[in-house]
Amino acid sequence: MEQRVEGEIMELSQQDKILIVVGIIFCLALAVLSPYIASGDPDGLEKSAEDAGVGEDVESAVIESPFPDYTYEPLDKIGEIAVLLLGGLITLALGLGIGYALKKSN
Amino acid sequence: MHIPDGFIPLGQCAIYYVILIIALYFAGKWARANLDEKRIPLLAVLAAGIFAIMSMNMPIPFGTSGHMVGGALVAIVFMAPEAAILVFTAVLLIQALFFGDGGITALGANVFNMAIVGGCVGLYTFKGLRGIIGQYPSIFLAAWLATLVSAVVAAIEMAIAGTFPLTVGIASMAFYHAFIGVIEGVLTVIVIYALEKFRPDLLAWNRE
Repeated sequence: MEQRVEGEIMELSQQDKILIVVGIIFCLALAVLSPYIASGDPDGLEKSAEDAGVGEDVESAVIESPFPDYTYEPLDKIGEIAVLLLGGLITLALGLGIGYALKKSN
Repeated sequence: MHIPDGFIPLGQCAIYYVILIIALYFAGKWARANLDEKRIPLLAVLAAGIFAIMSMNMPIPFGTSGHMVGGALVAIVFMAPEAAILVFTAVLLIQALFFGDGGITALGANVFNMAIVGGCVGLYTFKGLRGIIGQYPSIFLAAWLATLVSAVVAAIEMAIAGTFPLTVGIASMAFYHAFIGVIEGVLTVIVIYALEKFRPDLLAWNRE
């Protein structure tokens, strides 16, 4: 399966390679910028939960995620950048995997 | 608007998971009929880009922040909400598993809100308004409305779950997401404009 996907990526047109490179650069740029400039204020849902008087303890994670809130504590900001980029690349790979698994059959 | 674990009781989470499974069945059927190899990189890049843009929370008034979601974008680019279902299942699964962003138990509800509701509201608003107000104004409004309706639907789910009171929940969610929707609308227009300029072959309406 892995090899098959790789083999097919090799057949990508030049334009599609550029698209993927642009996607990776976009992920890299946001991974570098977000830890510094993204707003840390509560988002719309969190703020609504505050407005509605939902207690802090209502939210309870069922699984322990390896990088909670996109952080990797030992490396501080570098860790945040690294896990964001890692997440983007995993998502890209999963997207390609899903695409090739489900693609139009001839 | 990622719903965390704990906001929806497990029994209700199961219902949203059933909806997710049915949605994935139809999305898979759509892909086998429509997703040609040329558009797989686009699907994957949109997924990765959406993952990344969701990290960029922008400030909105009242000490709140929000980020682009992208359900309307994917549905409009592919002219199919099914594409949004595939993209968001991938993105939200990774966010829930690795980053604790959105609960794994709430995955079904989160895909429902952002991809099914967001994608359908976005696509059909665009289709309905394009001939009347023009391409880009309709894209902006479609993305704005997709954000707003997704948020209201999430508030209704929270009310059914007993987490938010209905009126306060809807009022708050609609109010904040009316601002967040502007971010969504502007960025959706920019991405589609860029695609139209550099890769018009990737936009579904230029293919058929």
